[in-house]
Amino acid sequence: MAETTAPFASAAPVPAAESRFERQIWWFPRILLIPTIVYLFVMTVFPLLYSLFISLFRTETGRPPVWIGLENYGKVLSGGEFWYAIGITLVLTVVAVTLEVLFGVGIALLLNQRLRGMGLFRLLVYLPMMVSPLVIGYFWRYMFDGTFGIINWVINSTIGGLLQLDPPQWLIDPVLAAIAIIVVDVWQWTPFVALLAAAGLNTIPPALYEAATLDRASRWMQFRRITLPFLVTPLLVAILFRSIDTIKIFDSVYILTGGGPGDYTATLSVLDYKVGFTYFRVGEAAAFSWLIVILINIVTTVILRLITRSRRARLYTA
Amino acid sequence: MSTKPKGLGRTILQYIPVLLIVALFFFPLFWMFSTSFKQRVDWYAVPPRILSFTPTLQNYDQLLSIAIVPLQVLIDPATGQPKINKLTNEPQLQRPSQVLPSDEYRELTRFNLFGQWYLVGTKSEFLRFIFNSIVISLATTVFSIIMACLTAYGFSRFPPRRSDNILFWILSLRMLPPVAVIVPYFFMFQAFGMLDKHLTLILVYSVFNISFGVWLLKGFFDEISPELEEAAMMDGYGPWAVFRKVALPLVVPGIATVAVFNIIQSTNEFLLAFVLTQNVATTGPVALTKFLPPTGIDWGGISAAATLLVAPVVVFTILVRNQLIRGMSFGQLR
Repeated sequence: MAETTAPFASAAPVPAAESRFERQIWWFPRILLIPTIVYLFVMTVFPLLYSLFISLFRTETGRPPVWIGLENYGKVLSGGEFWYAIGITLVLTVVAVTLEVLFGVGIALLLNQRLRGMGLFRLLVYLPMMVSPLVIGYFWRYMFDGTFGIINWVINSTIGGLLQLDPPQWLIDPVLAAIAIIVVDVWQWTPFVALLAAAGLNTIPPALYEAATLDRASRWMQFRRITLPFLVTPLLVAILFRSIDTIKIFDSVYILTGGGPGDYTATLSVLDYKVGFTYFRVGEAAAFSWLIVILINIVTTVILRLITRSRRARLYTA
Repeated sequence: MSTKPKGLGRTILQYIPVLLIVALFFFPLFWMFSTSFKQRVDWYAVPPRILSFTPTLQNYDQLLSIAIVPLQVLIDPATGQPKINKLTNEPQLQRPSQVLPSDEYRELTRFNLFGQWYLVGTKSEFLRFIFNSIVISLATTVFSIIMACLTAYGFSRFPPRRSDNILFWILSLRMLPPVAVIVPYFFMFQAFGMLDKHLTLILVYSVFNISFGVWLLKGFFDEISPELEEAAMMDGYGPWAVFRKVALPLVVPGIATVAVFNIIQSTNEFLLAFVLTQNVATTGPVALTKFLPPTGIDWGGISAAATLLVAPVVVFTILVRNQLIRGMSFGQLR
């Protein structure tokens, strides 16, 4: 951080222009920084405080809001729905992120080979993460359809046909619906993990592998001792982003299952949206959203700690 | 990794898993694309018709063409006010006169030609929503790039006290769940009469895009060697001129990356647009939810609409493919 101030600090002792320059320097950084900081503050901190304020009232349509203190928080925390939503969200997050990391590393290794046409292949694999999750929710819903979906056709014409199974009703059965959500998330975001892992692979000096081959280290040893250490930091960054985004997941769940059947797949965001905009219990929704913010903060802090620790470890070993 | 000479068999063996992965990740996009050219019978075909169907442009035609709505102007007996009857089904036209452009829809009452049927052309709603998406994402991009350039340069050259904390706060906006702010946003914008306005979405989307731009562009500004700017300052450039004429041209690749990511982010966003708009400022993704009628989903229409939404994203992804890592990791990795 300190070095970045160098250009202007060392330029200051130009004698003739000094006083004018100092004056310009005084306003210039402020012009650069203050508008944005004020804007971001007004658009994020203020709404959050306002939401805290709303969460202290009972709001019912057609009646003036009543001050009820922390009752909304008590209501959310004592209701089973909130804890179920936390549970299902965390399960989805842990399963999806784990699968994404495993597949992501594998795909990064596969796509890191030198083959003709690899540029195009990479591009095709990386496309899903750029597409709107809403659009993705729609066409996966079409593919998951119980009667005419292509996924059930594949299952029926292979395993299902052999074992004489009933076609799985993906978005109707609670467990299968959760699996469907995981499949869609993994499909969309494995490329993201693969992209970051590939970035880590590119930082490995080839000389390390050459030395390892000379020492007759096995393929597995090479992966374990050379490849993996270089992947730790990018993978932790990927896990951080993916965990946060999966805890927030809304669009694809809303389209795929709408939180259904019942509220079995209602993740935190979907349930919060329902409380606020379907049942219009606004105060409760505001309290709910504060609890989500707190949860995300906890998860972020834990993962960030891991990242700084791994960076420090890298520094000591390097 | 290996330096051994490869045989043909080995190369084929290397290609098989790669092609399988590509097929797995690309197939759903292809399936959506091909469904958009299918007729109703082919949507529900079992076994699915992957290539053996007669392609049709009918889905796109319905989505984009001008709809003809028959209207009847009557005088409401209770109030004496003119009233417009709108039939969605094909009506028994008594005296269909000329087709009027939609802008004159409201003007009809002035013609004093009550009791007659008119055919009124309304523009394709979907095109309007797409147009909204374009306007909103372009305006967001321009606004947030200007703000992000200034701020990133500020943080790079004149880090204020506790700048790390402020930067971390800006980064943490990425973690803020949209559901946490939709309730207060809804009431704030309602209070200012700003629901269903383009400006509202532009202001809201800019928050995320500025925080993204600041982080990415700060990295680009940090990479500029200080000597260049010092030299310019020796030549008598003021700080603004140094920023404008020396630093800014050097980060154009960064700005391009931020621009493309901003456009994609703002075009893809759903939840905030869903809550903060009703009809006037509705964006493309929200328009997709209007395809869920009570009876049977129009899969061809959805696929056509989705294809139109995804096509620009594909083009943009190709444009920034070399900056994908830096963009997707918020400038944390490169």
